[in-house]
Amino acid sequence: MSKKNKQTIRLIIVNLFFILICFGVLIPILYAFSVSLNAENSLLGANFSFLPKRMTLQNYKAVFTEKPILLWFKNSMILAVVTLVISLGTGIPAAYAFSRKRFPGRKLILKILILLYAFPSLLSMMALYKLLSPMGLINTKTGLIIVYTGTMAVFALWNMKGYFDTIPVEIEEAARIDGASQFRLVTGIVLPLAKPTIAVTAMMILVYVWNEYIFAINFMTGSDTYTLAAGLYSLQATEMSGSWPVFSAASLVVSLPILIVFFALQKNMTTGLTSGGVKG
Amino acid sequence: MKKQQHTDREKKKIRRETLSAYGQSLPSLLLILLIVIFPIIYTGYISLTNMNVYHWNNYELIGLENYKDALLVFDNGFLTALFVTILWTIVNMVLQLVIAYGIAMLLNTKGLRLRNVYRTLLIFPWAMPGYVSILLWKTGMYNSQFGLLNQWIQKLGGEPVRWLGSNVLAFISCTVVNLWLALPFMITIIDGALQSLDKSFYESAVLDGATWLEQTRYITIPMIKPIIAPSVLITTFTTFKQFDIIYLLTQQVGAKTGADIHTILTYAYEKAFITNNYGYSSAISILIFGMLLVFSMLTSAKSREEV
Amino acid sequence: MRRKGKSRAGALAMAVSLTLGMLTGCGTQPAAEESGEVTITIWHDKEEAVTQVLENALSELEPEAHVVLEKKSDLTEALKMVGNDPKAAPDMYLFAHDKIGVYAEMGILAPITDIIPEEELTAYMDNTIEAATYKGTVYQLPLYYETLLFMYNRLYMSDEEVPATTEELYAYMQENTKGGHYGFVEQHSTPYYAAGWINGFGGYLLNDQGEPGLNRPETEEALTYHKKFADLMPGETEYATVNTLFKEGMAHATIAGPWLIPTVRESGMDVGIAPMPVIDETGTPISPYMGVQGIQVLKNAAEKKPEAVEKVLRALMSDEIGTQLAKASGCAPARESCYEQESVTGDEVVMAMKETAGNAVPMPNLPEMDVMWTVTGTLLTDVNMSGKDVAESADRAQAEALQLIENMK
Repeated sequence: MSKKNKQTIRLIIVNLFFILICFGVLIPILYAFSVSLNAENSLLGANFSFLPKRMTLQNYKAVFTEKPILLWFKNSMILAVVTLVISLGTGIPAAYAFSRKRFPGRKLILKILILLYAFPSLLSMMALYKLLSPMGLINTKTGLIIVYTGTMAVFALWNMKGYFDTIPVEIEEAARIDGASQFRLVTGIVLPLAKPTIAVTAMMILVYVWNEYIFAINFMTGSDTYTLAAGLYSLQATEMSGSWPVFSAASLVVSLPILIVFFALQKNMTTGLTSGGVKG
Repeated sequence: MKKQQHTDREKKKIRRETLSAYGQSLPSLLLILLIVIFPIIYTGYISLTNMNVYHWNNYELIGLENYKDALLVFDNGFLTALFVTILWTIVNMVLQLVIAYGIAMLLNTKGLRLRNVYRTLLIFPWAMPGYVSILLWKTGMYNSQFGLLNQWIQKLGGEPVRWLGSNVLAFISCTVVNLWLALPFMITIIDGALQSLDKSFYESAVLDGATWLEQTRYITIPMIKPIIAPSVLITTFTTFKQFDIIYLLTQQVGAKTGADIHTILTYAYEKAFITNNYGYSSAISILIFGMLLVFSMLTSAKSREEV
Repeated sequence: MRRKGKSRAGALAMAVSLTLGMLTGCGTQPAAEESGEVTITIWHDKEEAVTQVLENALSELEPEAHVVLEKKSDLTEALKMVGNDPKAAPDMYLFAHDKIGVYAEMGILAPITDIIPEEELTAYMDNTIEAATYKGTVYQLPLYYETLLFMYNRLYMSDEEVPATTEELYAYMQENTKGGHYGFVEQHSTPYYAAGWINGFGGYLLNDQGEPGLNRPETEEALTYHKKFADLMPGETEYATVNTLFKEGMAHATIAGPWLIPTVRESGMDVGIAPMPVIDETGTPISPYMGVQGIQVLKNAAEKKPEAVEKVLRALMSDEIGTQLAKASGCAPARESCYEQESVTGDEVVMAMKETAGNAVPMPNLPEMDVMWTVTGTLLTDVNMSGKDVAESADRAQAEALQLIENMK
């Protein structure tokens, strides 16, 4: 068998593998999709099929017309973008400093930060409430943004610092000899090299803000202040009321923007470094 | 004399660098102080008070009273829960790393055109709010009456299985859900790391006649290790702290399944948090936190991870 | 490179504009109070049919009082956090009576009798006022109440076959539970549902002294007896499964809340409602918990806006609201006089609840009840699903309950 043939067969097998595994992974989501198309209000049923017997798009229509989903979308967008900007704006310099500079307290702080991750956050809500309430930040987006950026700050710092560590200092030193300023150095050389980690960190922050609902429902009152995740949570059918199909439809609609962002960010995560860039 | 000057300059340089480093990281550290550290300190403070339903606004400091009661929670049940938690963390982390590595490797197969499509589909679970996913698994997949798994089994002529009904099976079922939720992140991280590797290393290795296994062991893994280490460390903590999956799948009031698996957090929840006694629950949180600190110090002492 | 720089600048501009938008949109507090107008915010977790009726009635208070009904997820947890914080807490909330003990002890509720003279509360059914009373003080203005109901699918169970006693029910279950069909299903391991059996045996989860009764002989007897029914029911007990079984015609009868009725009727079922079967051993019917839905007033609101609060409460005291709620959502009104209206007495569901309410036990409203739900849930699961010994499990649960109650203080 020629080498080319062997390669083709391998590609076919790999493709088959991925088709299978993607289908496997997507089963629960297809399930939600099926429920969302169902004209009957039920989450369960005997003789399930991926295409319900009585199909309707009514539930999707209901999501957009009966629920203030565009308002929630706007709220989520504002929170996500602002949190992202602040997180990266504060996280990148901090991560860079912790990666490149040697100063007293550095190791200790890094160690403490990761240990803080161990604190079970079940109780922190009460404390945060007591913190934000006197400052008048309950029921404001500013309050939520502070909570979100703070929550993600440890991750942002640690994750990006780890990646900066793998970028050889020599590249920067060469540029410094060429007379580049600190600012030029970072924006011109380090950031482009660190694109993958920035993309991953951004994704993580985005997904967190997008899907976070506990703070959003407890710190915000009134359905016009809800984020998508909080609104979705309130749509959840209960024993007494609600519609599972509408809830499922809304879940899928809510996930869609994130997926689009994932897809768009893909190329940033792949370009990474050119040959010889990363430390060997 | 000259040496003295030198160290002076050195000192100055260090001071300058320290100052600029703290300056650069100040906003970030300030946020962490406010949102992450303050709640811990506050919890520590509350743990010394009698804040509960009966003393909501007029609570007062009562010293270590709560800790005395809290120690009672650390009984046999707690030890079992601790064991389950550690097992849970290890099993999940190992599976996550192995599977994610395998998938990421395959995603990097030369000539795989649909790579971006596969990757986007594979990370779909990440885009869904966690509680929605757990609900979908619980009712859509695992439900013993109507769940898809049992419908398929019955179609094939098998007997329906109560996926969440017994301890071992429930543990496995919870693990599957956790993997489903966590793999997208891990795949992304490892795939990103693989992408950034210098291909020339492989070329020379192939020339040297290294096998795939040797390449993996001596080139790929050592090279991606420093890149993925922070994410793996953070994920380990998140796995350790995981509450929702096990609680919502097996222990939720009104939907208990009969499986008796508890992690330390679900255990503490049922033994303490439901009492609405904030002083007491805070004491337990602080004690658990202390244990986790010891646990992570032990593990970080072992790992040669350079900080 | 240039192109890239441009797009980065674009992103920055977008971020800045969004930040600005956020800052300006930040302080969106509820509309400022206009001259003389007082806003009353009511948190609730009810379905739209109910809130619609209330909104219509309360809109008549404009312009003196502007009432906002806000649906709040996880209402009880949120209340524990905001307490009486005037910036975040509502003025009132609409919820079942079983949490008033917690909030009364926290000191955030105002007694209803501070606003409405006690004599006027005699117009309510006695057991609703009993439910609303914690330590001798009335903390809730009842609106309507609900109990579980025995319902059956006429396609499978004819009116003559409806069991009058639990043994008849058991015989029916034995006969009809086969081939994917169940004679009868309920959420047998959920405390709210199992309580009907325990109460019917004279046992209790929690008495009015706040003492758990999980290992009392009556409770254990009930658990043992109930187990044989649970054995003929599916192992899955959460509400979606149980309700779907009934809805899809795979279960012939069930004990469920009145809220299930509109859904099953919609799916075309001819659903019958019958009195609870009488437990042969004790001669008492299954006696479920009764939940009274009503308005609780927060202390802060009672102090700061007494006139508006009184107006709202008085508006909610009309018979009209009771009859409208019955019509809109099958709620059983708490006011005695509503049952003189034909539109109420003609409603099968409402009247069935009224009948069940004769035996029903108001859910305990003590703070201790908060831990009993979890402990009892574990006990029921142990007995019904894991097949553990009743006496042993009950003792363990009782000890655990005592320990938890001890730790509440």
